[in-house]
Amino acid sequence: MRARMIMPTCLALTAAVAFASPAWAEFKPTRPLELVVHSGPGGGNDILGRALIAAINDAKLSPVRIQINNKVGGGGASAAAYLAEKKGDPNVIGVFTSVWVTNPLAQAEANVTMRDLTPISLLVLEPAVLVVRADSPFKTINDVIEAAKAKPGTLKQSGGSVLARDAVVRQVLMSKTGARWSFISFPSGGERISALLGGHVDMMVIEPAEAGELIRSGKLRALVQFTEERLDEFKDVPTLKEAGIDVPNVPQPRGILGPPDMAPDVLKYYEDLIDKASKSPGWQKFVRDNLLQSKVMNAKDTSAFLNEHEKEMRDILSGAGVKLVR
Amino acid sequence: MDVINGLAQGFGVALMPANLMWCFIGCFLGTIVGILPGLGPAATIAMLLPLTYGMGPASGIIMLAGIYYGAKYGGSTTSILLNMPGESSSVVTCLDGYQMARRGRAGAALGIAAIASFIAGSFGIVALTLVAPPIAAFALSFSSPEYFALMFLGLALVVLLSGESLLKGLMSLLVGLWLTSIGTDLFTTQSRFTFGQSSLLGGVDFMIVAIGVFAIAEVLSSIKDREETQVLPVPRGLRNLLPNWAELKACRFAFFNGSITGFIIGVLPGAGSSIASFISYGIEKSVSKHPEKFGTGVPEGVAAPEGANNADTGGALVPLLTLGIPGGGTTAILLSALVLWGVKPGPLMMQDSPDVFWGLVASLYIGNVMLLVLNLPLVPLFAQILRIPVFVLHPLIFGIAIIGAYSVSGNLFDIGLLAAFGLLGFIMSQLKYPVSPLILGFVLGDAMERALRQSLIMSQGELSILFSRPISAVMLAIAVLILLSPLLPRFRQMKQQAISENG
Repeated sequence: MRARMIMPTCLALTAAVAFASPAWAEFKPTRPLELVVHSGPGGGNDILGRALIAAINDAKLSPVRIQINNKVGGGGASAAAYLAEKKGDPNVIGVFTSVWVTNPLAQAEANVTMRDLTPISLLVLEPAVLVVRADSPFKTINDVIEAAKAKPGTLKQSGGSVLARDAVVRQVLMSKTGARWSFISFPSGGERISALLGGHVDMMVIEPAEAGELIRSGKLRALVQFTEERLDEFKDVPTLKEAGIDVPNVPQPRGILGPPDMAPDVLKYYEDLIDKASKSPGWQKFVRDNLLQSKVMNAKDTSAFLNEHEKEMRDILSGAGVKLVR
Repeated sequence: MDVINGLAQGFGVALMPANLMWCFIGCFLGTIVGILPGLGPAATIAMLLPLTYGMGPASGIIMLAGIYYGAKYGGSTTSILLNMPGESSSVVTCLDGYQMARRGRAGAALGIAAIASFIAGSFGIVALTLVAPPIAAFALSFSSPEYFALMFLGLALVVLLSGESLLKGLMSLLVGLWLTSIGTDLFTTQSRFTFGQSSLLGGVDFMIVAIGVFAIAEVLSSIKDREETQVLPVPRGLRNLLPNWAELKACRFAFFNGSITGFIIGVLPGAGSSIASFISYGIEKSVSKHPEKFGTGVPEGVAAPEGANNADTGGALVPLLTLGIPGGGTTAILLSALVLWGVKPGPLMMQDSPDVFWGLVASLYIGNVMLLVLNLPLVPLFAQILRIPVFVLHPLIFGIAIIGAYSVSGNLFDIGLLAAFGLLGFIMSQLKYPVSPLILGFVLGDAMERALRQSLIMSQGELSILFSRPISAVMLAIAVLILLSPLLPRFRQMKQQAISENG
């Protein structure tokens, strides 16, 4: 609470000396920080959050303890609502991902949008690959498109919610090429992969880390990667553009944000913290091990990025027939 | 003999003093986590993960896995003593475990839970060791139509769980099916029955329903019946606290049933240990000579689900270790732990990191023995909890229930839900509606709806997909038989007559 009392002074100071303010006026956390994630232990955001905390601890970047707070439910809605309640609180931050943007578009109850919160920093973009079973007749993405055009609706893709990135990628591919295939939702990644390995569906759009070992052991084959440039681990898999399909890559961003009305010095503190953490060896190892694409942005650029992302998603989802509420 | 060589190597790793210690620490923590309602193994493993960075993958996974299966052992303790499930996989244990405790057989129920856990847990590990690759292939052949048939089979068991009135049982089931449909629909992202509450978008958590309708409702009922002076009987003497021979004999089939059912359902990525425990309970009841006694405190009603949820562990590790596919939240975090240590879980893990793979498998054998040795002596100790006077025990149960509900999601809203479900359970018990069909409907309904819709998308709307595949056809046929089974007593009478006439 002390931070809140010194806030006006701080604001004045920042304005006067343009960020060169003496150390005593800067925000420095004095009690444990809370990092809110919207998935339960073991979920993607939870693992990312814990890795970030571990990297910060290893590099001794935070004077106080940071603890994970799992606010599960509503595909991010509970976590967003919780952060919105913490208006102006300098000790709470959260991990956002794409569903924080798409959920409020499609669900009236999810009434906290990214504009209500304070984006702090983008951290990573998750690449994706399209995989088929190793014994599948499809050798390229164009084989899939041709087959889907020949028999509309018979090919099947397993995936998550219709708001998730894999569903959005399908939508983009279908509207660009005119092919049609069906999408089957499964709640967990394990079930989606099992459906593909068991031959019950024909393809899946998946994060490279999740599919890596299955590709390496010859159970799955990657046909195309949804990246700007080929990933090191998938040197012989063409990007979408190289395969001749010229559509924007749908990013899966993950980053850090704060509650509404975050004071400028607090925002600055977290921007710096995340920037330093993203350069730490622990974080870089995590990014490498999980085949993520590091993409660190400051708060201003992150806001702009998220606005653009929302616009893109709005178009794609309404094109897919999802009823939008905002 | 790859398996023998592998196991020998594995025991070499697992029997190192440091690893024995980590295994014990994991099992011990797991037991405690299992006992505490709300705090689950997934959250505990996530919290302890940073401490294992420096440990090396074999020691790390041995400890974290110990928490995973140790929690399954501990989960039954509060189910039996307080009618409050410690883990979702021990919910069904409340039905007969708590009734045994009320009859003064708390120690016996705890002992049977430990023994069933040991037997079925060991079976699961042996099966994991010997048949992991073929059984993983079987699991992959299981798809949405088969899941639908499995859940349908489970729901058919409601007929058996419904108690005296079939109509009341079915109404209770419908409430369960309704409750499970609350939240966001995965296929369309439409919200259902959320009444504008963002807290309901993620649906209602199973643990909150279970703690409410079992533990809170039970306390409310006993307050209403003014049981304040009546303390549950706890016999003195170690011999009276452990299961007797007759009780163990009654569980013979349950040990077998729990082992097989738990392992097979555990292998399936789309089902979990709570489904395994319910289905093995249902099977146990359907083959029993005295199905009417289930729910009044029969030992096999404890042995079957407690066995199943431990055999489930061995099953769930099959897709994790052979394919790198996690079946649930806890295995997902074990997977990310392995990645963190630089092990690559997947089809090549057995070749690339044999020390981790076989070290873990060997440690499961050791851990299971440790858990039995750890748990049996605790039985008499835990049984003493029932000596606590009611004016202390009831507030204690309320307190644990509220903390448990809050720790599931960290939402205050859930405590309100807990109170609502407590009232619901209380009203149902006053009006003599059974709550087990509600719980079963809640567990299976969601998975069943999903499987049906997935099947229909696969077949482009053809219902025949459900009957034309052999596994699903067989399961649906069994379900129909069960639904017709109320007609069986007459058939049995006729058969007995025929036998006696012949003999």
